[in-house]
Amino acid sequence: MPSSGRYQPPEIIAYREPVTPSHARPAPGRAVRALMARAAQQEQAGELVAAAGSLERALRIEPKNPELWNRLAHVRYKQKQYSLAASLAAKSNSFAGQDPALRADNDALIGRARY
Amino acid sequence: MPPAKKKTVRKKKAVARKKTVGRKRGAAKKKRARRGFPWLKWFVGLVLLAMLVVGGYSLYLSQVVRIKFEGKRWAVPARVYARPLELYTGANLTPARLQAELQALGYRKVKQVKGVAQWSQSGSRFVFHTREFLFWDGVEPAHKVDLRISGNTVSALKDGVSGKPLDVLRLEPPEIGSIYPSHKEDRVLVRRDEIPDHLVAALLAAEDRAYFHHHGINIYSIARALVANVKAGRTVQGGSTLTQQLVKNFFLTPERSLWRKANEALMAIILDARYDKDEILEAYANEVFLGQDGDRAIHGFGLAAYYYFNRPLQELNLSETALLVGLLKGASYYNPRAHPQRALKRRNLVLQLMADQGFIDEELARTAMRQPLGIGEKGRLSSARHPAFIDLVRRQLQRDYQEEDLTSEGLRIFTTLDPWAQQLLDKQIASGLASLEKRRKLPAGSLQAAMVLVSPQGGEIRALSGGREAGFAGFNRALDAVRPIGSLIKPVIYLLALSRPDEYSLVTLLEDEPVRLEDAKGRIWAPKNYDRKAHGLVPLHTALAKSYNLATVHLGLSLGIENVVSLLRKMGVRRPLRPLPSLLLGAVSLSPLEVAQFYQVLASGGFRSPLRAIREIVDSQGRPLQRYPLEITQVAEPGPVYLLNRNLVEVTRVGTGRGIRNYLPESLEVAGKTGTTDELRDSWFAGFSGDWLAVAWVGRDDNKPAGLTGSSGALVLWGRVMKALKPQPLGLLPPEDIVYIWVDPQTGYLSAEHCEGAIAMPFIRGYEPRLRSDCLGEERPPGSFLEHWFD
Repeated sequence: MPSSGRYQPPEIIAYREPVTPSHARPAPGRAVRALMARAAQQEQAGELVAAAGSLERALRIEPKNPELWNRLAHVRYKQKQYSLAASLAAKSNSFAGQDPALRADNDALIGRARY
Repeated sequence: MPPAKKKTVRKKKAVARKKTVGRKRGAAKKKRARRGFPWLKWFVGLVLLAMLVVGGYSLYLSQVVRIKFEGKRWAVPARVYARPLELYTGANLTPARLQAELQALGYRKVKQVKGVAQWSQSGSRFVFHTREFLFWDGVEPAHKVDLRISGNTVSALKDGVSGKPLDVLRLEPPEIGSIYPSHKEDRVLVRRDEIPDHLVAALLAAEDRAYFHHHGINIYSIARALVANVKAGRTVQGGSTLTQQLVKNFFLTPERSLWRKANEALMAIILDARYDKDEILEAYANEVFLGQDGDRAIHGFGLAAYYYFNRPLQELNLSETALLVGLLKGASYYNPRAHPQRALKRRNLVLQLMADQGFIDEELARTAMRQPLGIGEKGRLSSARHPAFIDLVRRQLQRDYQEEDLTSEGLRIFTTLDPWAQQLLDKQIASGLASLEKRRKLPAGSLQAAMVLVSPQGGEIRALSGGREAGFAGFNRALDAVRPIGSLIKPVIYLLALSRPDEYSLVTLLEDEPVRLEDAKGRIWAPKNYDRKAHGLVPLHTALAKSYNLATVHLGLSLGIENVVSLLRKMGVRRPLRPLPSLLLGAVSLSPLEVAQFYQVLASGGFRSPLRAIREIVDSQGRPLQRYPLEITQVAEPGPVYLLNRNLVEVTRVGTGRGIRNYLPESLEVAGKTGTTDELRDSWFAGFSGDWLAVAWVGRDDNKPAGLTGSSGALVLWGRVMKALKPQPLGLLPPEDIVYIWVDPQTGYLSAEHCEGAIAMPFIRGYEPRLRSDCLGEERPPGSFLEHWFD
């Protein structure tokens, strides 16, 4: 909403997209969950290249999954690829919709990466 | 060459002097010499001298053999693979597509799956047993898989043995080509333990039955051949052992002379003495010439198995193996694709020889002889080579690798190619151009085209067409046809405008009025609209949807041409650009691939990914050498990109791209832009759905007018290809800072749902319109005193 308080017209409605497809923000499928779990294991084991590989594989299956972009951002941050990490986190935000926790995490990562 | 063979026998004795046989015979000669034949002394002296010379020469040859045999024996070309098909519940997959994929991998259709690389189908249920495959990130083990397809998606994916659901599975990637060196020898190496026993048996039976007993040459078979040849009066039979054949291919030129024959025999003996029979056999199996594929020579049984049967050597059965062995006698004379009758006869002869010599029993031989040749069709997914795409891969590789490494180190290159999409693309380009020519009464074959298919979010190049003859490696238009892009540039200008929300929104009115500019040399530039009219004040979104030139030039000039150029750069255009007013109407020449690069930024919501054709490269041992990871850079804010993309959707609904509706239903939302250049020389369409970004160009190679606009030419190809791909809808997600507001479409003033003709338009939050339409005018909410100023 405009913060100026100059007008508060009741008839002006912020709409959701008229044709928002149902698959825009799907729950991750079984395949992606499995690949995320694998990536998490690899990340824990310090195999960051492999972890990124698993996440990229998952992103080919669900390219609009904000959580995957967020995970990949974290892996790249760990690899000290800061500007890539920031772009990935921003990308995650662009799909995050109404997910304040994910947004906050992305914003924090962007802040650290650009610091 | 009978005399040559005699001589080689003598030389063999000389070389083999280390062995006991040789020593005994030498001693016997000396004894005889002492018993009163003085001239024999001289003779023996000469013989000894000859032995010395031959011995020395043998030492030299031995060195030659050692260097070649123990060094790197072959330049092994890099092999190029398509992407692996990912299988998981919910994946888009049709039965036809899965069948094509399994066939491309050389899996065999059976009634019941009992082994690796077999598949069966009953209705929409598939059972198949995958091969193990070493990917860059580890082994994908062999799996028996039970898969169901319903409604064009995978509805169930289970382990075929345990029945447990599988999460995700990669099929092995189909091979799409190899990067072989200038001498055009291609091969796939096999190790000795990968050579099946029945291949060894067939080799022995047909070529060299005493292989495991002789010392490199076989005197009996030479004698037998000699007799046969003398009887026939010409060469009808060869007495060469496998070792000699290997030596001939390996070390010597193909000329036929006594000297060469002698060398061949000598080296065969040396080879046999120095190396293991199995080692020599392995080298033989990898060296021999087994066919010709255009300018590519097929060497070794490993590659021949793929070339003729599209399966690894270990999976070939007896009759298939016998066919390959039969080719040793003359790969072109017995070529099973050109001369199936000859090949069949030859194969059955090999099988008969195997039975005669007891390697197999008569029964087995007869069964094998009854089988068809079983030659794999050429032209299916994998064997249909994709020269345009391979060309792209090659160019991308040349940035990081030496040509020699690519053609000799046995690298394995994993690409992003989707063979299914590529096949659809090739088909639609060929038929689409033919139908365009017919419809427009253009001479058949006068039009050319290029097209690029990319994954929008990751920038992976999934298919590429360099022209209408897909199988023909020629001018690669997708990369090298650098043509003016016309109105394809307009979205960049409008994106720049929308990135200044304080100045521009989708409803901002632009002046579509005549333009007349004079350059430094006094030349006049006065562009026109396509309909030759000026439309006065038009909303920004309409100017783009209808592709008005005049409004765009005014907009671009007020934004600053330099700023347009710099945004184009940020979006990935590398070519030198001159910041002239004509750039605003697309006087910029780019290739279809370069266009795809800057449209990818739009398709991905403002994030640029360098377009990639390669994912990973591993060395011949399977160790990862290099990855080309997913890289993104944010180059535009999501809000303005969203507004622009809504506008590009409008193009395909009511604008210059509405012809798309002949191919895709109204409900399937896509975004795109047409492009046409002067005198209708180039016809462009670039656009994207939720899962595909595609750029199409149509024109003529001689750059003469093709008579097609963007919407009457390239759009047709784009629509046909997209329809065949069954794309996902665009599914644009409004970023956080986007709000939808009711406005009056003519003026862009605030309106409301109940007002006549009002439409909901997206705006960047905080930059909504403030002027109120008449319909809204009466109800002024309290406190909005500022608006009185504007009324």
